[in-house]
Amino acid sequence: MTTAAQNASSARPPFIGTNVPRTDGASKVTGRAAYVDDLPREPGELFGATVRSPVPRARLRGITLDPAFDWSDVTVVRASDLAVNEVQCITAEQPILAADQIRHAYEPVVLLACADKRKLAQAVRAVKLDLEPLTPILDPEQSLAKVDVIWGEDNVHKRFSITKGRADLPDPAASAAAIEAAIASSEVVVRGRYTTHHQEQLYIEPQGVIARWDEKGVHVTGSLQCPYYVHKALVHGFDLAADRVHVTQAVTGGGFGGKEEYPSVIALHAALLAQKSGKPVRMIYDRKEDIEATTKRHPAICEIVSGCDRDGTLRALSIRILMDGGAYMTLTPVVLSRGALHAAGVYRWDDVRIDAVAVATNTPPNGAFRGFGAPQTIWAIERHLDRVAQELGRDPMDLKAQNMLREGDTTATGQTLRGSVGVAECLEKALTASGYHDKRKAPPAVRGRVARGIGASVFMHGAGFTGSGEKHLKGRVAVDLLPGGRLRIRTASTDIGQGTETVFRQIAADATGLHLADIDFAVPSTSYVPDSGPTVASRTVMVVGGIVERAAREVAARVRAEQETSGGDFAAAADRLLTKEREVTALVQYEHPGWVTWDDSTYKGDAYPVYGYACDVAEVEVDLDTLEVTVTGFWSATDVGKAIHPVMCKGQIEGGSLQAIGWALWEDVVWKNGLIQNPRMTNYIIPTALDAPPMHVDLVEAPYAYGPGGGAKGVGELPMDGGAPAIAAAVEHATGLFARDLPLLPERLLELQTNRKG
Amino acid sequence: MKITLTLNGLSREVDLPPLVRLLDALRGPLGLPGTKEGCGEGECGSCTVLLDGEPVNACLVSIGQCEGRAVTTVEGLSAPHLGPLARCFVDHGGAQCGICTPGMLISAEALLARRPDPSDEEIREAIAGNLCRCTGYQRIVDSIREAARERREAGGAA
Amino acid sequence: MSLADLPLHDMQRAASLDALCGIVAERHARGEATVLLAGGTDWVVEQELKPPRGDADPRPLVVDVSCMAELRGITATRGLLRIGAAATYLEIRRHPTVIERAPMLAAMARELGAIQIQARGTLGGNLATASPAADGVAALAAYDASIVVKSVRGERRIPFSALQTGYKQSTRAPDEVIVAVEIALPPEGSPWLWRKVGTRRAQAISKVALAGIAVRSEDRVVRLGLGMASVAPITATLLQTRALVLSRPLSAITADALDAAVLSDIAPIDDVRSTREYRKHAAKAVVRGFLRDLGAPV
Repeated sequence: MTTAAQNASSARPPFIGTNVPRTDGASKVTGRAAYVDDLPREPGELFGATVRSPVPRARLRGITLDPAFDWSDVTVVRASDLAVNEVQCITAEQPILAADQIRHAYEPVVLLACADKRKLAQAVRAVKLDLEPLTPILDPEQSLAKVDVIWGEDNVHKRFSITKGRADLPDPAASAAAIEAAIASSEVVVRGRYTTHHQEQLYIEPQGVIARWDEKGVHVTGSLQCPYYVHKALVHGFDLAADRVHVTQAVTGGGFGGKEEYPSVIALHAALLAQKSGKPVRMIYDRKEDIEATTKRHPAICEIVSGCDRDGTLRALSIRILMDGGAYMTLTPVVLSRGALHAAGVYRWDDVRIDAVAVATNTPPNGAFRGFGAPQTIWAIERHLDRVAQELGRDPMDLKAQNMLREGDTTATGQTLRGSVGVAECLEKALTASGYHDKRKAPPAVRGRVARGIGASVFMHGAGFTGSGEKHLKGRVAVDLLPGGRLRIRTASTDIGQGTETVFRQIAADATGLHLADIDFAVPSTSYVPDSGPTVASRTVMVVGGIVERAAREVAARVRAEQETSGGDFAAAADRLLTKEREVTALVQYEHPGWVTWDDSTYKGDAYPVYGYACDVAEVEVDLDTLEVTVTGFWSATDVGKAIHPVMCKGQIEGGSLQAIGWALWEDVVWKNGLIQNPRMTNYIIPTALDAPPMHVDLVEAPYAYGPGGGAKGVGELPMDGGAPAIAAAVEHATGLFARDLPLLPERLLELQTNRKG
Repeated sequence: MKITLTLNGLSREVDLPPLVRLLDALRGPLGLPGTKEGCGEGECGSCTVLLDGEPVNACLVSIGQCEGRAVTTVEGLSAPHLGPLARCFVDHGGAQCGICTPGMLISAEALLARRPDPSDEEIREAIAGNLCRCTGYQRIVDSIREAARERREAGGAA
Repeated sequence: MSLADLPLHDMQRAASLDALCGIVAERHARGEATVLLAGGTDWVVEQELKPPRGDADPRPLVVDVSCMAELRGITATRGLLRIGAAATYLEIRRHPTVIERAPMLAAMARELGAIQIQARGTLGGNLATASPAADGVAALAAYDASIVVKSVRGERRIPFSALQTGYKQSTRAPDEVIVAVEIALPPEGSPWLWRKVGTRRAQAISKVALAGIAVRSEDRVVRLGLGMASVAPITATLLQTRALVLSRPLSAITADALDAAVLSDIAPIDDVRSTREYRKHAAKAVVRGFLRDLGAPV
């Protein structure tokens, strides 16, 4: 055994950039990792269940508990029992339980808890809701047209506009006229309407929490991404002091955004039942309930008009974005914002006007999902440029390469890119590795009744919170010195599979010269980790990893100072320091780069400190008889700044890409009268290993000067952005069918083919 | 109903209603929570265990049907040490969130027991009943291929 | 979730097939239901979808047949392949005689579901559930298989053509136990097709699936079996299509006539997995594909 001291004193090669075994790996491959439903039953524990609305919109006239049913051992919570009936998110407009209005199907109305699971299932059926159904608004265009008002004054959750160049006028009407004029004066004008659909996160571990109360307050342990979001919701919902709310993350079986805001709802429900019953309550959703009730990706409609020169130089762009927020606003404004900020793509435009609006419908609230609005608008802009290329008789990737942003160029928000722009290298690498140009030049290869095609996309994704978000958030991380010269990282950034705890250890080890085994990672619990901000927005490594680096360095510096004063090795110096000071901890707060300027009122400036870039290439085979699409190969070259752990970094890119492929080809939430027709894994279709193509990922490293570990940028969301347009371009190459709407189900392709023939 | 089965190589007896799902029996009275529930309808494969050597979804098997039969769970694969398969999942990025991993390892074990040198296509077919939402499967395929190589080099089962 | 009801059911094993028939008959006479449980790939899932029963509601007796020797086993004698009702799809697709003499059945079993489902699912279960989406039943339709059933009244064989009477309805009496299926093996090397158009490449329910087996002599098909899943309330046997193909030389079969015959044989619907229009399109396409392989100019 080597000691921390030996490791610290002897120079060793860096851990950053190497594929160390993931530190939670052994527990996961042996079945020892404890997910929330693996935690042992607590004495007296009850199971919790939720009675939900069977209709999308209604007046709730009353609730009856069947008098023939024995309620003696069932805990019942209704809206009328609640002192505060608000889920604290951006605002507090969503009720914890519906009181008098039903605004979406599956809306929670009554909570039940019972020790006997079977009796609990019967109790759910013994609650009668007296509902007066109302005509629901299910279509966002109808909602925007105010066919009926179902939310606020005008159904609008949020609006944003982004303007640039000649359209940059304070008066919206003047700006709209200016962009129209700019486009009209262009040599080539192309219009298009592009739509995207709901997508279910479908983490394989369903949502769940366990809640209990004691003299210290309320304790919630669960499958979640953002312990402090749940903390905030519980503080608000129970009107408690912050130190009486304790939220702990259990090992979490995937999130992808789905466990960002929704766990607050389940935590409130379980805590209410636990409070009323005086017993611990375990609330684990089954798959059907999870698919029906929890959030999904926002559907979007994007209408684009663009103008360019005959030589392909892009000039003017007008985009109208309409997103479906669902019944409550929740995180929709932020999703809409990110969608708008990515809508112009990775291209130079002189004149831009982007109008984005999100409206309410009587469907379950849509929420966070990897990419957070950007995949919707990137689908639109990439497909649109493919159309422009068609119009010009150009290869789409040549046209895109001609117009891609370079260092020094300005984005739609007027941000000047100051380096770390690896997009050209991404394009070059992905196109070369896939043989794109040769394959694309040739007519599609047809073998029997199968046609082969290839297509590509290029895109960027902002890392970290938008604009001044990180400045307001003030993420913090603590690093403690432990006996023997070891360190412990305390952060609210959770590992939901992406590898946070391993990567943070690598960063801390290299910042201090310690060995990986000398770095502990504290279980994220609000009782003892500081608020590092949520585990979202491609910010974990780039933003929080940077804080970890500084905090670890600060602690190591104090030990080294002690070493210099009194000698001895690192461990001995650490122990002396601990004896003297009892606690040696660095609590470090994020510092936004000083040059980042952003104006929230005009939506101008540095939308993100830096962007990740990528080029995706998909090769497909299309069965010309059945129009089934098989992805036979997928290439991505992705600029991540610096890969702290190349295998896990590629794992993010491959996993995100497959979610994008699934969204493009199979995944579809089927609705009928506001109800989900396929809330099961049997018919909500995600790809299996046989549907997934072999993946070839190249990492490009254009370092970000302010990123940890030598320049890391965010990578979590980026790979969700480009898969769908690359596949659509490949299907177009193989069949000539130009898809504007997702998903590219064979049924849809048949419609396209029929319409083309007709 | 008293049911005797061989669980991870050891004879075990449980007294349970016979239609209790094997999955619930394992996670509850048998004390082996490594087998996970993702869908409860035989779709996701998170609850895959070996029943007399063949992979099955423990959510569709009744404990009463296991009378006299042999069941292997993830806990039985790596006792007492991590085998090459489990280790390769750690080393090659085969596990991310980990919830599909126990079932995935069981399906991989069933494959390698029959096919010591599988092609990538055979690996993909063998794990097609185990849904993973994190990895895109590439690194799972890599992990199994690498484990197969190590096991062959070590001379068969390891 | 009424899975919570499962532990309330009684489960038995029967000592022999005769004993099993006795149990089923006795309960049937009393108006009580019996469930013969093999792999549970349908029945257990169904329980999850059902609302919980009341405490006093009657519950079926479950008899575990998954290990019953008389319902298992795969044998081939004198051109007759006999597959036990409780033989699993994994056993079927790995059986040397099946691979050699009934390769279409092996291909079907391989694509029916993932290995975990193959290891549990059975032809007997597929027949008992009688879903028109069942791949196994479509294959049996193409082979014109016989279903061997037994009750206290004795054993009989139901030809496939006389089996199905309507959506999930059959001529099997409620007290008859499905014992085996029997397939008259076509000559070795007979052309065949298993073409599944599913929701994805593996672990999928069919949108349309075609099982085909043909015996060809020069420019004619002299024997043809077809079965199609998910295009009608029952497994489609495509009788008009069969008649058309058998009626003329392959070279005289036109795409239009073939398409018209297929459309007259099916009655697909819109559902959560696909659309009526697409099913019609795919059904025509896969039948044409088979006939093209056989040499018809379609």
